[in-house]
Amino acid sequence: MRFNPTELSTSELALQTEVRQFLKTELAPGTHEPCLGMAARKDKPFSMKMAERGWVGMALPKAWGGSDRTAVDRFIVVEEMLRWGAPVGHHWVADRQTGSVILKFGTDEQRKRFLPAICRGELGFSIGMSEPDSGSDLASVSTKAERATGGWLINGTKIWTSGAHENDWFVCLLRTSSMEDGNKHAGLSQLLIDLQSDGLEISPIPFLDGSHHFNEVTFNDVFVPDENVVGDVGMGWHQNTTEMAYERGGPDRWLSPFSTIEQLLREAKDTPLEQSVQSLFGELIARYWGIRNLSLSVARLIDSGEAPTIESSLVKEMGTRFEQEVIEKLVQLIELEYSPDSHSLFERMLSQCIVTFPGNTIRGGTIEILRSVAAKGLQGLPV
Amino acid sequence: MTELIVDELITQTANRLFSEICSHEAIQNAETAGEAPEIWAAYTETGFPWISIDENLGGSGGTLLDALEVLRLIGYYAVPVPAAETGILGGWLLSEAGFQLPEGIVTVLPDQGPDLAIKVDGSQVSITGSAIRVPWARSAEIIAILFHDDGNNYVASVQASDCVITPMTNMAGEPRDTVRFDGVVSSYAEVSAAIDAQSFRLRGALSRVALMAGAIEKMSQLTVSYTNDRVQFGRPVARFQAVQQHLVWAAQDAALSRMAAESAGIEATRGNGAFETASAKLIANQAASRATKACHQAHGAMGMTQEYPLHHYSRRLWSWRKEYGGDAEWSQWIGQLAIAQGADGLYPLITGGSRVL
Repeated sequence: MRFNPTELSTSELALQTEVRQFLKTELAPGTHEPCLGMAARKDKPFSMKMAERGWVGMALPKAWGGSDRTAVDRFIVVEEMLRWGAPVGHHWVADRQTGSVILKFGTDEQRKRFLPAICRGELGFSIGMSEPDSGSDLASVSTKAERATGGWLINGTKIWTSGAHENDWFVCLLRTSSMEDGNKHAGLSQLLIDLQSDGLEISPIPFLDGSHHFNEVTFNDVFVPDENVVGDVGMGWHQNTTEMAYERGGPDRWLSPFSTIEQLLREAKDTPLEQSVQSLFGELIARYWGIRNLSLSVARLIDSGEAPTIESSLVKEMGTRFEQEVIEKLVQLIELEYSPDSHSLFERMLSQCIVTFPGNTIRGGTIEILRSVAAKGLQGLPV
Repeated sequence: MTELIVDELITQTANRLFSEICSHEAIQNAETAGEAPEIWAAYTETGFPWISIDENLGGSGGTLLDALEVLRLIGYYAVPVPAAETGILGGWLLSEAGFQLPEGIVTVLPDQGPDLAIKVDGSQVSITGSAIRVPWARSAEIIAILFHDDGNNYVASVQASDCVITPMTNMAGEPRDTVRFDGVVSSYAEVSAAIDAQSFRLRGALSRVALMAGAIEKMSQLTVSYTNDRVQFGRPVARFQAVQQHLVWAAQDAALSRMAAESAGIEATRGNGAFETASAKLIANQAASRATKACHQAHGAMGMTQEYPLHHYSRRLWSWRKEYGGDAEWSQWIGQLAIAQGADGLYPLITGGSRVL
């Protein structure tokens, strides 16, 4: 395990400036309600505007509609978007992972069909991993894909599916053959499923505050043609693990509360802040500087062709706990009775953080699972 | 911007030397004796103490970043020598003032209390009062003292033998002596305006950050290896999730403080890096607190013994986290700086650091 310090090159700094100017014009402070990290509003026109700049699917090759940029370039765009609280929800999953998975494991047909549309900011994807009886023990998934003429018939249930009611496509980890003795990772495959398919039913699972993000997706003999299998049949676990390396360790794992911190300062205006609040700012800014450096060095590792599974697990575990710590400290230090419909934007954002942040250390792999992955890596065991 | 990297030969040589001369027993003996002349002698043969100091003044050349890499390894092996004091602190002050470096140990006054009076008298100064927690004063040849007088900054080069030294120690048994000056007369020379109390304090903090990053990494590695060897309930304790939590948290703090130390080192080598150094010290202080707790817990009773080496690192960290600024000092310093940037300037400060200030 090694995190090398890295700095942004002149052209990377130019990209950073360009993104900041774009945001200032498109979402001037005071004119938009900032989102909290990757759980951002879906705003397709905004996604398409970003795509016009080449900032969606930017690390994908030009031949497939991308911009041939690097993981670090994507890091720069993403951190500015999240820090600003931009509505990146529509293209988020496709940009972060699905595009890379299709590029890496998909057929040319699939690349042609999906990648240019992803890069135009048109397509929204959901992720189909968890099931009612398979959460942290993901390899135990039991939703079945059975052979049918020209394709597969899907039966079973996926759960906690964010945005299935609004997205276009669903990348699912499915069981295409039964578990082999002693090897539950075998027999899994990744399939691309149209969320409008016959037999596919989407039911909302209201979030604790009544809002609608999660869904349960039920498959009743849903037909998926052969051309929608991603990669090789039976290689789903390996592909899924690779996908996780893209999913973990990025700015979305530590920047969620940042727009709230900014808003606190914005609303404080000229009121002198107490010494305890000054110290809190010192602590947060220092930690942000340190964690960002680690996260950026993971992006550099990806660009050098490595799959930094352990490094990204360590950063995600630390980053998501830090997000919760930030909010806890704000609650301890700022004397106010926050409310979700306060006239103060800061209070509204803080309320939203309090209610949603327990999920930050759960989504995309609980921190307990991440610790187990990282600890195996530290001991030199296979992850 | 040219990329700054450490000469790999320095890392290799330091690793080889320190693993040879710095056994568990050697560190323990140094603590009992209050000094380690043999280790110091072997260390000086490499020229390491004077890296980053001008060769014309008796230094070894090289960059500040190179010197910090040696300090990181000094921390990693708990080498019982005044490396920071002789090199990037004391050696730096003397060389900035144009003094030739002495052959022996140099030390500095980390906390210059108000009861120290330095009176300029022509070509000499006269010093009266006392200073506490002076590292290795008992073994030093020269005490380099930075002072301000009539709008200018100066460095006095004091013969340690002219002072009254009372041996004291820190939590790790490292010498932190009380030094009394009874009208000690010494030579002095002017340094540039940039070398003031704040830049000295930051440089002290930077030295501790490098040492701490090394010590936290070593503790983290010791913990991984101990929990793999220790078998309970029929399997290595490292297989238990509750123990894995400690391994992971310690590894994160090792990675975080090393990243902070190296990033701050790069900016400081370029000539600024105040924001980065302050942030790195705060990060390392907090990482030290968390990591010592995690590593001790994972070691169980064994970590509480003198026989097992964990304490060489944990006790040093408990001291170093308070030297050259604890959490309160640096969080306040960074907080005021950050708030002055305003809401829109906060993130640019995180990404751009000292360069946007």
